[in-house]
This record gives sequence, structure tokens and C-alpha cells, in this order.
Amino acid sequence: MRKTFIFLLLTLLALFIFAKEKIVINSYMSDPAPRKAFAELVKIFQEKYPEYEVTVNTFAHEDFKTLLRTWLAAPKGTADVVTWFAGERMRYFAEMKLITPVEEVFKESSWENYFPASFKSTCSYNDRIYFIPQSWYWWGVYYRKSVFEKYGIKEPKTWDEFLKVCETLKANGISPIAIGSKFPWTAAGWFDILNLRINGLDYHIDLTAGKIPYNDSKLLKVFEYWKQLVDNGYLLPNHTSYEWQEGATFLFRGQAGMYYMGQFIKDVAPEEVKNDLDFFRFPIIDPSVPLYEETPIDGFMIPANAPNRKGAIEFLKFIASKEAQEKFARDLGRLAANIEVAPPDEHAKKGLDMILASAGVSQFYDRDTNPEMAEIGMNALIEFLQNPGKINSILDNLEMERKRIYGIK
Amino acid sequence: MMRKNITPYLFLAIPFLMYCIWVIFPILQTFIVSFTKWDGMTQMKFIGIENFKRLINDKYFGLSLVNNIKWMIGFVILSIPLGLFFAILMDQKFAGHKIYKSLVYLPMALSFVVIGQIWSWILEPTGGIVNAFLNFIGLGNLAKPWLSDPKIVTYSLIAAALWRQIPYAMVLFLAGLKNVSSELVEAAVVDGANAFQRFFYVILPALKPAMVIAITVNIIDSLRAFDIVFVMTRGGPYYSSSVMANYMYVQAFHNYRMGYGASVAVVQFLITFSFILLYLINVLKKEER
Repeated sequence: MRKTFIFLLLTLLALFIFAKEKIVINSYMSDPAPRKAFAELVKIFQEKYPEYEVTVNTFAHEDFKTLLRTWLAAPKGTADVVTWFAGERMRYFAEMKLITPVEEVFKESSWENYFPASFKSTCSYNDRIYFIPQSWYWWGVYYRKSVFEKYGIKEPKTWDEFLKVCETLKANGISPIAIGSKFPWTAAGWFDILNLRINGLDYHIDLTAGKIPYNDSKLLKVFEYWKQLVDNGYLLPNHTSYEWQEGATFLFRGQAGMYYMGQFIKDVAPEEVKNDLDFFRFPIIDPSVPLYEETPIDGFMIPANAPNRKGAIEFLKFIASKEAQEKFARDLGRLAANIEVAPPDEHAKKGLDMILASAGVSQFYDRDTNPEMAEIGMNALIEFLQNPGKINSILDNLEMERKRIYGIK
Repeated sequence: MMRKNITPYLFLAIPFLMYCIWVIFPILQTFIVSFTKWDGMTQMKFIGIENFKRLINDKYFGLSLVNNIKWMIGFVILSIPLGLFFAILMDQKFAGHKIYKSLVYLPMALSFVVIGQIWSWILEPTGGIVNAFLNFIGLGNLAKPWLSDPKIVTYSLIAAALWRQIPYAMVLFLAGLKNVSSELVEAAVVDGANAFQRFFYVILPALKPAMVIAITVNIIDSLRAFDIVFVMTRGGPYYSSSVMANYMYVQAFHNYRMGYGASVAVVQFLITFSFILLYLINVLKKEER
């Protein structure tokens, strides 16, 4: 009896001494490539800090977006670290005090030692940092080099050249533009870039901030250009049936010619196609408008109700480090947020050069816009793609919603 | 004597308490939330019937309601007769009738999420089996983007749901058929009634209770349609296949409008509840008799 007791006591003691602190991370990295890269990153962290035991819960991207709020709002938190997007979507939670500042990560140094100064405002709310960037990427028009070669197509620089490329592809029985819009954000990418090329960055930022009426005549111009693609039948047929990955398979199989998409399109490309994929800068529409691009920043934040804040900070310190940023960027060919990390490959270097040569960047429609407006706005874009003739009533309806959401009389 | 009366109530108390906590209380809570403006996180703001006023002018809510009615009509006019047809067929003792019964019954064993996924593949516009088959037999012009054409998407979803709903009705009717006394049918045969007359004058009237249940269950199921829509289209393209439950989900959990979502839920509840009430009255009347 006594023996058992002592044995139990010793076991308990041992458990207490070697007990690992738990860190729970909820992640939206559900595509196989980022999921694997992140799992390896976590493994490196565990080897370096054996006192922590990290659990990663992965959720499908779209589900994550709706679930996150319920985790953050719950009285008792379960996750210590969550993946998310910089910009408005992060600020929305910061404003409600559902996430906490993370300056402790930079205790003995400063933001500028880790990340570009220009990222700071996107990752902050009321001058406090709430967001640790991990990687960022650019959007570009992706195509297969071999397909372009076969039909003697050169990367188009202007809108007219772009239309000609579409025509050539179409004449050869290839869908000129791939898109998968079952989830409507892919259309938002198009909307953003057309607006940036036609009306410029300031106008676009004001629009996403809810300061410009949706039935503004300048905005109508965006849809006039977009309509040319729809009317000529350049878009992949039945694109609302496909998720973005399914849309991409048409490009990979050579059944579609171009795909305006973020760099992460490479995550889902088959090995034999990966090196055949290239991109070009979205063509110039109005030469008097400077070049702006979309560069969303992905990263992490700490919920206000995180059970293990200390561990969360420790993990984010690791994420911010050169080692972790380099590994993730190299595995996925993205650009690391850490300034010490060079672009991991030629492709990424080309992307970085494109961004460095542009006059400014935006995040993304649903990252710059109030979430409710974004949901309604993106659905309206799909409605336009299916009924381009109804654009006036679609925009009037959007304007009504904008007034309601932003409380404008 | 007193003791004897109290026992059943004691047994009922626990489930009743659970029912209150998990069913009655949330319903009441939803009613309260429907009169507020609330994002689910910050302070609730009471705004009276503002949400309901807005619902009336919300064209996407209107669309969802109309779609629910389409579901209801589809369920009643297709799943009831076809369910009955299969039930009568499977009730015959022909060779291998058990295998056929299992085959028809199979979709019942699958969850709506699985069914939605299967039908997404079946209806896929380029490689899906429906369009591939139409192309193969030379009717390629009938091939359609089943899930992305706003005009037909709801019907495609209903078709997928019927795949599970028909066997459900069949099971209800099969149970009902067990109650049809075979003597009655034999008597009709002796009296010289043909198959047609036997069905309409003997079997069908005996199936009335099963019929009432089948219709009510189908109506209620059509009103709470959600899973299939969520899996196959998420209500898209641009809300054209949205149903009330789906619209509520989008408003409450996507757009962070708990109050507005709750008001959709309240409308859906009231409609569904009126059908349940009709059914209950029907059942109670029968018990009195």
C-alpha cells in the first residue's frame, strides 16, 4: 500500500516537473503545401523549446473565417495563437479588444529590426502592434510558359495587347482567363486590380474604407472594362461552379490560358507544371495612373482570451525570427516579412522586383473593407459577371447597403 | 394513489429540463436577439421591429423564401408519389426485392454533407457524369452548368435532396403498408376489384395516417433545408440558391449580424411551427377518438 502511494507520488512529481506547457494554434493553412511547411516549422520550434507542447488545429480556409469570431468571443479561450490577415480584418477584432497587442515580441529590439517599416501600419491599430507578419505575396497574371510559346504569345503590357492575347487563345480553343468563383473573393481580385489600374490607389482605399458611393461614375468605368472580357466570352465558362483550386486545374492542364491570382497558386500546382508557371504584371489600362499592386500580408495574432499568453509570445518570437521566416518562405516560394530574408528563388525575386517597382500596394478587397460590406460587395461582383447588363441596378443596391452599413443618411 | 401519479412526472422531469435548456431557452433567446442589433461580441442594442421591417424589403431574403417554397413543392409533389411508388413496388415479394430495397434505401444512410459532395461531382459542368452522359448519347445541347446557372441551381439542389428524401418517404409508406390488412385486400380481389381499384379504394385510404406523416415531415424538412445548400453552393451564385436557413447563417456568422440573422430564424420558426401545429392538432384529434 505504502509502496503504491510513494510510486504514485513520484509519478505525480515527475509529471509536474516534466509537464509541458501547451500552446494551441488554430490555423487556416489547409492546402497541403502550406500545411506541411507549417507543421515542419512547428517541429523546429518544439525541438528548440522542448518545454512547450504545440497543438495545431487546421481548418478549411472558408470555415476558419466564420469560426474565428466564435473563438475570439468565447468567454473562455482555447487558442493561444491564430492565423489571420493584416489590415482591416485584423483591426476589426483589435477595435473590439478581442485580440491583444504583441509588442513583447520585440522586447529587446524593435519592429524595424525585423520587418519593413512600411508594414507597421497595416499590422497596427491605434499605434499598437497586434499582428506578426509571416509572409506576403503578390498577385499577378499567371500563365504556362509552354502554352504561350506554342502560340507565339508574348507577355502583354497594355490592355489592348492583353485583349489580343485573349483572342489568340480563344481562337485556339483555349479559355483565355481561368477563374473559380464558387467563393467570390477571386472576383474581388479582378475588381481590385482593375480599379487600381483605372482609378488609382487613393481612390481604391477610399472606396474600401466606405467613403465613396458605389454608384460613382468613376467606378462604373471599372465594370466597362471588365464587361469587355465577359462579353467576348474570355472567362472560363461556368466559373461559379468551381473553387479557386478547381479553376486553377484548367490552367495547369492547358485548357485555360491565364489566371489572375496570388502567388499561392503555386501551392496547388502539380510538380511537373510548377516550373512551367510564370506571371506578368497586370497590364496597364491608363498610362497616366501609376502602377499599384495587391500584396496581402499573412500572419498571426493572439486572442485576448488566450490561455497561455506567455507561450504564444514565445511562439511568435520564433515566427518573427529569420530562421523561421526563411524556412517558410523557401518552402512555399513566398516573400518573407523579415527583412533579413532574401527572396527564396528566382520567381519570388521577380515578384519582389515587381512590387519594389510599383508606386504603392493595397491588401485585398475583403481585407481592406468592413466584413459585411465585403460579403455583399463580392457577391455583387459575381452577379455582375453573370448579368453584366444589370450593373447599374447592382451598384445602386450596393450603394444602399453601404449607406446602411456605414450609417450614412 | 398520489405516489402513483408522481412517478411518471419524475421520470419526465429530467428530459423536460434538458429540453428547456437546449430547445426552449435558445428559442426564446433567438426571439429576444431578433429585436436587437448585435454583432455577437459587443453590447446588444435594442432596435424594436427594425430587423423585420428590413426583412420585408430585403430582396435576397425574399429570394430565399421563394426558394424554400420551391423546395416544399418539390418535396411534396415528387417525394410523396415516388416514395409511395417505391413502397408499393418493394412491398411485392419478387426475386431479390431485399437487394432493391437496400439500394433504394441506401441514400438514407448517408449524411446530407456526403450527399451534397457526391452530387457536386455528379453535376460538375465539365467532368460530371450527368453532362458527360448527355454528351455521350448525343444530347450535348441539354448539358448545363447545373450549379452555376441561377435559373436552375435550386432545382439541381432539390434533385440532390430528393435522392435522400424519396427513400425516406418510402420507409414511412412501407411501415404504413404493414398496417393495411391483407384480408381487406383479398376481399377486394374476391369482389373483383382490379389492381387500380384495389389501390385507390382499399390501400390508399388505409395509408392515410402514413400519408399525413409523410407530407408533414417533408414540408418541415423542406423548410429546414440547409446542409445540401451549404455544401453544394453556399447559396450562390449571388444568393440565387439561398434558402432561409442558409441566409440566416450568412447574415449571422458571415456578416456578423446576429440580430438580423435571428429575425430570419424567427420567421423560419413561425412558418415551420405553423405546420407542426397543424400536424399536432391532427394527431391529437385522432387520439381523442
